[in-house]
Amino acid sequence: MISGYPLYLLGRLGQFALVVFIGINIAFIVTHATPIDPVEQSIAAATQFGSTSPEAIALMRQSLKELYGLEGGLAEQYASFWRRVAVGDFGPSLSAFPTPVSVLIGRALPWTVSLLVVSTLLTWALGNLLGGLAGYYAKNRTLRLAGLLAMAFHPIPYYIVAFLLLIVFGYLWPVLPISGGYKMNMARDWSWEFIGSLLIHGILPVCSLALVGLGGWFMGMRSLVSNIVTEDYVTYAELGGVKRGRILGSYVMRNALVPQITGLAMSLGAIFNGAIITEQVFGYPGVGTLLVSAVHVGDYSLVLGITTVSIVAVSLAVLLIDLLYPLLDPRVKAR
Amino acid sequence: MRIWRYIAMFLFVGCLAGEASAQNTISNLPRKETLIVENPEGTIKNAGWFNIWAINAGGQSTGLHQLGMDTFWYIDPQKGVDGVWDNSLAADKPIYNADFTEMTVKLRKGIFWSDGVEFSAADVLYTIQTHMKTNGLRWSAPVQVNVAEVSAPDDSTVVFKLKKPNSRFHALFTVRWNAMWMMPKHVFEKAGDPLKFANDPPVTLGAYTLNSYDPNGKWFIWQKRPDWQRTTVARFGEPGPKYVAYVDPGPPDKRVIAQMNHELDIIHDVSPEGMFTLAKQSKTSHGWFKGFPYAHPDPTLPAVVLNAQNEMFKSRDVRWALALLIDIKAVSMASYRGAATISAIGVPPTGSAPDVYHAPLEAWLKDFEIDTGKRKVKPYDPTIGKQIADSLRPSLGEQIPSSADEIAKSFGRGWWKPNPQAAQELLERAGYSKKGDKWFMPDGKPFSIKLMVEGEGRPVMTRAGSMITQQWRQFGIDASTVVAQGSMVDRRAAGDFEAMITWSVETWGGHPDLSFFLDSWHSQFVAQPGKPQPPRNWQRWTNPELDKIIEQVRQTGFDDPKGLELGRDYVKLVVREMPTIPLMSYNVFTVMDDTYWTGYPNAATAPYTDPVPNWANTKYMMVKLKPKQ
Repeated sequence: MISGYPLYLLGRLGQFALVVFIGINIAFIVTHATPIDPVEQSIAAATQFGSTSPEAIALMRQSLKELYGLEGGLAEQYASFWRRVAVGDFGPSLSAFPTPVSVLIGRALPWTVSLLVVSTLLTWALGNLLGGLAGYYAKNRTLRLAGLLAMAFHPIPYYIVAFLLLIVFGYLWPVLPISGGYKMNMARDWSWEFIGSLLIHGILPVCSLALVGLGGWFMGMRSLVSNIVTEDYVTYAELGGVKRGRILGSYVMRNALVPQITGLAMSLGAIFNGAIITEQVFGYPGVGTLLVSAVHVGDYSLVLGITTVSIVAVSLAVLLIDLLYPLLDPRVKAR
Repeated sequence: MRIWRYIAMFLFVGCLAGEASAQNTISNLPRKETLIVENPEGTIKNAGWFNIWAINAGGQSTGLHQLGMDTFWYIDPQKGVDGVWDNSLAADKPIYNADFTEMTVKLRKGIFWSDGVEFSAADVLYTIQTHMKTNGLRWSAPVQVNVAEVSAPDDSTVVFKLKKPNSRFHALFTVRWNAMWMMPKHVFEKAGDPLKFANDPPVTLGAYTLNSYDPNGKWFIWQKRPDWQRTTVARFGEPGPKYVAYVDPGPPDKRVIAQMNHELDIIHDVSPEGMFTLAKQSKTSHGWFKGFPYAHPDPTLPAVVLNAQNEMFKSRDVRWALALLIDIKAVSMASYRGAATISAIGVPPTGSAPDVYHAPLEAWLKDFEIDTGKRKVKPYDPTIGKQIADSLRPSLGEQIPSSADEIAKSFGRGWWKPNPQAAQELLERAGYSKKGDKWFMPDGKPFSIKLMVEGEGRPVMTRAGSMITQQWRQFGIDASTVVAQGSMVDRRAAGDFEAMITWSVETWGGHPDLSFFLDSWHSQFVAQPGKPQPPRNWQRWTNPELDKIIEQVRQTGFDDPKGLELGRDYVKLVVREMPTIPLMSYNVFTVMDDTYWTGYPNAATAPYTDPVPNWANTKYMMVKLKPKQ
């Protein structure tokens, strides 16, 4: 009879598989319910400016349906989709035919992941640190000012902050590049010059995400810490003469971090959705731009590929955190 | 405090270094020899794909079709470098037999691919035969529908035998934005399946070759061929820019910033507001017109397209009533902030059309009458273009032209004068009735119109649609806009709309022949309701008189003056019938920066081509551009 942690593990694995299966099915239904037909989009793109006789259009429509493999019914497409997903193949992109979806995602993903991992971790670490300090040293003026700034930026819509940064550092005081992931015509050879270009091009996107995201973590952590500092064990430690730094680090922040770690895992999992507005505003390459463009042209192979990766990533992040929880918080194991 | 001083100094030096670095967005290329151009396709998903013959597999206006491709003929949307028609790979115009079942092409000699192989009739044969036997290439369908046989009697002659008479077969190889490009036989015959070959790097016929590109599709850089003299544009001189970069600069605000920083020489299109900002704040930026309205009127005619298969638009009286309820001045202000070039007739007011259609038909339009059943009215007001110009003059002063000719070129001529009384009489004659302040259809149901607009993807046209529905609502029609966003293409093709703002008229621009769109308006191509409609008769309107005009055009040579008469007959017919309500040309706010380059086309002194840089015709711009410094 399995019991204890192995049983907990099996249960969570089962949940993970179910969530992924349901999520991917919903994605399949939604993408196939779109009114946008990739064949019509291709025909429009191929004929909207140049000269194509109407007689030729019907022939073109038929050829594209055959080429894109859209002739079978929905059930046939569903079975074929799962066969491909099982081996990690999402088939060819319909809007970049015949390039495989996995190749397109593979090209975009490293940019998105590096941008969002850096900005998420930076925001999380800074927000929690400042929030923890602000909650514990509630009367410190500098920390109160930091709290005020974080809260002031937090409700501003992201695109406004992004455009503000763009105008300030791209036009009024043009010290930072406003577009792209690195300088044009630069060899991607991991030379110092290339790495420097990558970093300088990442400053504005990362800062924009950090400025807006910081407030959430800050306020969450400050609120958690404010509650914890009133707990008996903290009062007891203070009365017992334990150093304040140690109380903050070992007694307060550590306990307050548990829900924040869950939030971090969710945020890291959501990275695979891309940062659509960031990519659009800063012309940064990534999955977000790919997803938007795929939706616009009804490329459901590509949309399904990206959403499947995202569903698996978020579910995996939640699973990992579920599995780690008992190690971090003994109360979970006890239940 | 010392540590703070060090930090401040570090930041200051860092920012100065950053400033210097941010001013240079291209690595290892001399800015003064590089032209930076916006590619409106944006980020190319599949950047490493240069096989332009495969549909949608990669980008087209990344410089690939402007600088790398070539074909038999080009028609310029404006005046052309040496006339509107240019024999590019062909040595002469197309030669048809008497019944238009055979077309012979004489090829230009001494043209070479970028890898040193000479272009010949073998390349043409290969291109055509590949399209004949391969389904799914970009031009497979039109080739398979038309070509029975292709042969090359010698290295510089190609003969097409057609399946049926087609006096416009050459249009397939005549660039108007694009056309069927020639394939390098020696490359593709070794490549296997032409549908699966990336063609990276492309062997080109144009004066440039690919230098480098971003695998994530943000930029493409082309380099002038050392043997540019062996390409077709060499007849007009050496291309100016050594390098041309096509980039995705992002949203309109960023394009404006990039040009103000002199990091984007040509903006493809920007919002009217962005154009006005650049005109005011950047001394080196300018549009097609020196002053207002700045934009280039493309040979495309946005209109209110009324779905003729919908019962409520079957009556000509109803269609005319809706036209007479539109105040085009308000539509011009709402859509283009006044920077529109209006057209009352079914031809875009650009290229050769104002001289061939608008000016000659002005007198006819002034005399044109509609009978409302109660009286006859002359709906045409020839002063509307002038009224728009006059209304803008107080705020824009000298930027607004004052001569009648300049006003007509910039703002258009006349349009229909709003006439609610005549509209009421026309609706009443069609069986519609007004109860209270609402109109009802003959079957008693409320007269309700849903006007489909594209949404944020085309904000100017969306604003035009909103203004028109507002005007119809004020009259008592239950009108509203429907935003189609990405589904617009599908809904337009399926006829899944009542009325929409789009265009079903596009012309060659420089050449007055109307077959580019008109042939597709023949009733033989109109689909049954619910079935996909081939471009471009989105209104699905049929008319026996129109069919006769089209059939006569088919039997008339491309340059035959009789074609112009038939074109004017078409214009008169659609004025009488009003199947769509033409509004204005599609004005493109292409903005050019003189900091590094001069010689751009403009309306006043250099109308040698369309400045809109995603047109393949812009290859001619390269030979006119000269470095400023």
